[in-house]
Amino acid sequence: MSLRAWACSFVLLLGSVFGGHAQNKHTISGIISDAASNETLIGVNVYFPNLQKGTITNAYGFYSITLDEGTYDLLVQFLGYESQSIKIELNKDIKLSVQLVENTEELEAVVIITDIEAVNLRSPQMSINALTSNTVKQIPAVLGEPDLVKAITFLPGVTNAGEGSSGFNVRGGSVDQNLILLDEAIIYNSSHLFGLFSVFNPDAIKDLKLYKGGIPARYGGRLSSVLDIYQKDGNSSEHKLNGGIGIVSSKLLAEGPIKKEIGSYLLAGRGTYAHLFLPLADNNNVAYFYDLNTKLSYQLGDKDNLLASGYFGRDVFSLDGSFRNIYGNAVFNLRWNHLFSDKLFSNLSMIYSDYYYGLRLDFVEFDWQSGIQNFNLKYDFKHYLSNDLTLQYGLNSIYHSFNPGVIKPTSTSSAINYDELTKKYAFENAVYFEATKNITNKLALNLGLRWSHFTRFGQDNLNKYENNLPVVFNSDFQIYQSADPASISHYKKSDVIATFNNLEPRFSASYLINDKSSAKVSYNRMSQYLHLLSNTSSPTPLDVWTPSGSFIKPQLLDQYAIGYSHESNNGSYSLEVEAYFKAIKNRIDYIDGANLVANDAIEQVILNGRARAYGLELLLKKNLGRLNGWLAYTWSKSEQQTPGRNATETGINNGKWYRTAFDKTHDFSAVAQYKLNERWTFNSNFVMQTGQPVNYPNAQYVYNGLTIASFGERNSFRLPTYHRLDISVTLSPRKNFDRKWQGEWVFGIYNVYGRKNAVSIAFRDNLDTGNNEAVKTSLFGLLPSVSYNFKF
Amino acid sequence: MRNLIFLVITVMITFSCEEVIDIEVPSSEPRLVIEASINWFHGTVGNEQEIILTLTSPYFDSNIPPATGADVSITDSFGNDVLFQEEGETGVYVTDQFTPILGASYKLHINYNGESFEATETMQSVSPIDEVIHEQTGGLAGDEIEVKAFYTDPLGMGNAYLFEFVEYEPFDLTIGVYEDKFIDGNQTFAYFSDEDIMLGSQITIRNFGLSPQAYDYLFLLSLQSSNPGGGPFTTQPATVRGNCVNLSDPNNFPFGYFRLSEAYSVDYTME
Repeated sequence: MSLRAWACSFVLLLGSVFGGHAQNKHTISGIISDAASNETLIGVNVYFPNLQKGTITNAYGFYSITLDEGTYDLLVQFLGYESQSIKIELNKDIKLSVQLVENTEELEAVVIITDIEAVNLRSPQMSINALTSNTVKQIPAVLGEPDLVKAITFLPGVTNAGEGSSGFNVRGGSVDQNLILLDEAIIYNSSHLFGLFSVFNPDAIKDLKLYKGGIPARYGGRLSSVLDIYQKDGNSSEHKLNGGIGIVSSKLLAEGPIKKEIGSYLLAGRGTYAHLFLPLADNNNVAYFYDLNTKLSYQLGDKDNLLASGYFGRDVFSLDGSFRNIYGNAVFNLRWNHLFSDKLFSNLSMIYSDYYYGLRLDFVEFDWQSGIQNFNLKYDFKHYLSNDLTLQYGLNSIYHSFNPGVIKPTSTSSAINYDELTKKYAFENAVYFEATKNITNKLALNLGLRWSHFTRFGQDNLNKYENNLPVVFNSDFQIYQSADPASISHYKKSDVIATFNNLEPRFSASYLINDKSSAKVSYNRMSQYLHLLSNTSSPTPLDVWTPSGSFIKPQLLDQYAIGYSHESNNGSYSLEVEAYFKAIKNRIDYIDGANLVANDAIEQVILNGRARAYGLELLLKKNLGRLNGWLAYTWSKSEQQTPGRNATETGINNGKWYRTAFDKTHDFSAVAQYKLNERWTFNSNFVMQTGQPVNYPNAQYVYNGLTIASFGERNSFRLPTYHRLDISVTLSPRKNFDRKWQGEWVFGIYNVYGRKNAVSIAFRDNLDTGNNEAVKTSLFGLLPSVSYNFKF
Repeated sequence: MRNLIFLVITVMITFSCEEVIDIEVPSSEPRLVIEASINWFHGTVGNEQEIILTLTSPYFDSNIPPATGADVSITDSFGNDVLFQEEGETGVYVTDQFTPILGASYKLHINYNGESFEATETMQSVSPIDEVIHEQTGGLAGDEIEVKAFYTDPLGMGNAYLFEFVEYEPFDLTIGVYEDKFIDGNQTFAYFSDEDIMLGSQITIRNFGLSPQAYDYLFLLSLQSSNPGGGPFTTQPATVRGNCVNLSDPNNFPFGYFRLSEAYSVDYTME
């Protein structure tokens, strides 16, 4: 759709909004929460079966729906909870808050919350997966530590570059294209211990949603996906403690009321044992991580709710006398929910996020620190105008501060000179408007528009180049080389050196084919102004973020998706099929041999290229019963290309498209849970996927005593197919039934048949034989684990 | 320094298990490889020099074929030609007529297989090795012998260095490539550690000056020879182009490099 056509339909829709008339309509609204803990519940179905109309609760447990006067049956349903049916006499506006009781029947185990009612089939939102923290905890994990990012890689369209690699890739997008929000705060690095674990403590998390496409206008700033994670508020009824002791980590969570039913606190900590990953003799070596999650929530009357939450996590590596490496995220945010009316919900967030990386190399007396910080102000409104029309609008301002690196000597005798890479500053603003409208009983639309604006502020030194080309092509050697700056300009922090703005239309529609199936289409344009400088196949913790500016343009994405969903009669099975195509402009690529570490003139090693990805995803779920779980299959391609800037240049990889490091043609996963009885639950997952694209040498030569492998075109070979089976068993002791202390044992085996999946194939010169050899490295063989979890 | 930072990352994954596997790799047409390293060792006249020409071969082949029968010469900035004669059919071309001048520009000509190759480079000076020490707490695990060769970087020159550490029993050559980015004008050290090295063994340390282009070339080359090949920390392999061009057929470009440098050599015994 052209922008103009899009704008026309938007205006038409607005016309229908304000032209509408209401007669004898009343609003019913309130909060849905857990009866035991008073914790608000996200995504609960609030449904009127006779009308076949309904809504779901928002991220703060709030719902609002407006209907004609009358008497109705209201059904409140949430997987894992007992449904409640309430008779309602709607002759005035009603406040109705409902508390749901957790289902303790055998069939409680629920894998994915979605689509149990036609409400969701009808929702225009597509390409979304939701997981509860229970699901995450049920999936067998490496070394028994449940992991949120591992869990989402079992979903269709989500992969990572390989075992032991950081982050995750959504629909062929890079790791830095995921917007990861923890209680609305941006998280820059989602991995602990180089991707072995993620930074999210499943105990402290209530709910998460992953948007892979059709991303609504309220989100922006990253191209590929939104991972929206909400922390628990804490139990406001009674004090609770739960925890776990595992072979690699332990954790403890405390929660309880500050003021009964009004305010609550939550405090959760988690850490691994220090020496685990370094089986070296010296006792002064450590490698561990820890994180802390905190939350305070307090209700100020009927209309206002205050929430404060924080996260602090660090990875620490230290080898005695050699180096010390610490890095991690910290976020703090303060939110204020306010109900302007029973139809207008608002949330104001003030957020600080920070990523820190520090490295001290004692043996060369070198100290390095880098990081990124942002101050983020968000004001979001959700306006439940009528049963058929919901508006969401808001604004978002982020001030970014980048520290690409400060180098210090660690002693007066050090040979290192103090050096500070040029600090960078930017201001990112956006306003958005989003309307969800039921056009007919069968057709629903979500139309949105986001306007984003990015200002890059001045920095001390800014290089200027001849013809504005920081990278030049050397036609003698047919290679790209860094240009020398022609001059250096100086700016103040308040000077504007570049601005960008983009209109980002979003559109999605659903059409109900019949009661049990629907078709959906979506289009979204996204822009991304920050770039993670990384030329390894998955990011490393020391990679730095850099803003768009004079030399780096914002990345732009267009994504198109179509989908079909079907549910069996009682909702116990569901099938989702989706196809997508995405095209990305201004994807940066690195010239051969680019050095990114401590590079203060990064523009000299990058070129603007493009990327594309397309694929087909299938997700078959069994939601109910003793045996439940899902099968996911994805066929996809992910490629990038950097053509020459003019006819004489070759471009990168001779200007040809090449596979990204996370291109996985086939990706199959199966996740299953079987609940035998109250005491025993069995979990397993199986994954099989095409090997990671790699390079094999096509020749060797010797220079200066080194045997050098020579390579042809990029990523034209692959590692062997990856597959793995994990199982775990959860045992709840019989003693649990009549006591406060509830314990459970989890026994697990990662990689049951001990397949040595290749993480890499290296080519090297064997010094003993003098011959070249290929060496396969695999990370984990069969890994048993045991952990004990408790709560009281 | 940047290699160090990568080293820190790769050492983390210690769960790993390695095995040598059989694998089929593609093969490409042979290319000429030029190792033209003109070194003027301190205390010598620098008249005796050699240039080694080889060809690329399939990755798992055990021999490196010499490029024999080439015409090799170097022209100095005064237009004097020095011819290099091949020693038999070894691909090693030698002369005893070379005159080194620091800071002077030289041009290398090679005629091989009917094609003409050329490269131009300037002779670099280098700081002497001030002192060599060894410590028994080297390596990342702190249990290796580590050798440090100290040198003093001249201020504000943008210097770069190649260090060679030669072990004799068994013979092994390790190189280190350094720039003065973080240490400009200071005394600093090149270092080397090996878990197999014993007290009492003798090593030779040599250093050479590099032009910025030669530094980039050797740095990339050393990365290339240690790239993990898949896995999270792999960078895309680069076609490592040196400073030699094929005038007859630019697409059939040669590998290797033509560099000239002053050099120091120190023998050191670990006592």
